[in-house]
Amino acid sequence: MLGGLIEANVDSRAERRRDFDALAARVGIWVTDIDEGVTLDFQRGRLVVHNGLQPRRDITIRAEADTVMSLSNLRIGPFGLPVYYDEVGRGVAMKLLRRRLRIDGLLGNLATVNSVTRIFSVAG
Amino acid sequence: MAVDFGSDEWASKFKDEVNRSAMYKAAARGWKWTVGLVVEAEPDKNFPDSVGVVMDLFDGEARDIKVGPPSEAQACQFVITAPYTRWKQVATKELDATKGMLQGKLKLKGDLPTIVRYTKASQELTECTTRVPVRWPDES
Repeated sequence: MLGGLIEANVDSRAERRRDFDALAARVGIWVTDIDEGVTLDFQRGRLVVHNGLQPRRDITIRAEADTVMSLSNLRIGPFGLPVYYDEVGRGVAMKLLRRRLRIDGLLGNLATVNSVTRIFSVAG
Repeated sequence: MAVDFGSDEWASKFKDEVNRSAMYKAAARGWKWTVGLVVEAEPDKNFPDSVGVVMDLFDGEARDIKVGPPSEAQACQFVITAPYTRWKQVATKELDATKGMLQGKLKLKGDLPTIVRYTKASQELTECTTRVPVRWPDES
């Protein structure tokens, strides 16, 4: 489903396509309440989706299914940065603070996290 | 009073629950697409024929919900398909619909970004199904 979501998002919005074409990173997503996950291997305009967490990931997002959906609903604001001051954004920020959303590798890969968030975002 | 799953009475009660939900009304503001649910047959569960549920949902209101052949549900703009047992798990809160879709237990056809934008509305729709007392064919 996540692969399909990215494909539809990238196909429908030029700015998402630009991010997708520029991004080279391995992103793990682990859905904690179903104990399943994927590794999204972004290869500058190509995406390979692996079942499970594969090695050599740049970032790994660990959260419950609802939170993964919330990430897709983050709005993108000025300068292409995710908006954390509206209702959805505050919810995501609180989950980060309470460790119900963990992003391993966040500190060294902030630009990658922002790119991935933009590619995922279905909000305006 | 309990109604048979997949009957016209069930569809009517489901529609009433949706229209009673203030949460759905708020979360589904702007929604303007039809949704079809396909319940696949499981003869060994006393559910011998596949059934379609067509939901005419518009801007936070259920204008119509009716049960019919699967082909009618498949013609909707969004279609969610699963075997009878999976739908029963959803309606009895054994399986969360969001998790089910992420796991591929519920197959979704339609524009994914749109349905993800309305995650809260679809969760509340699921809640509405759980509030309808049901007689399940494999329990009768």
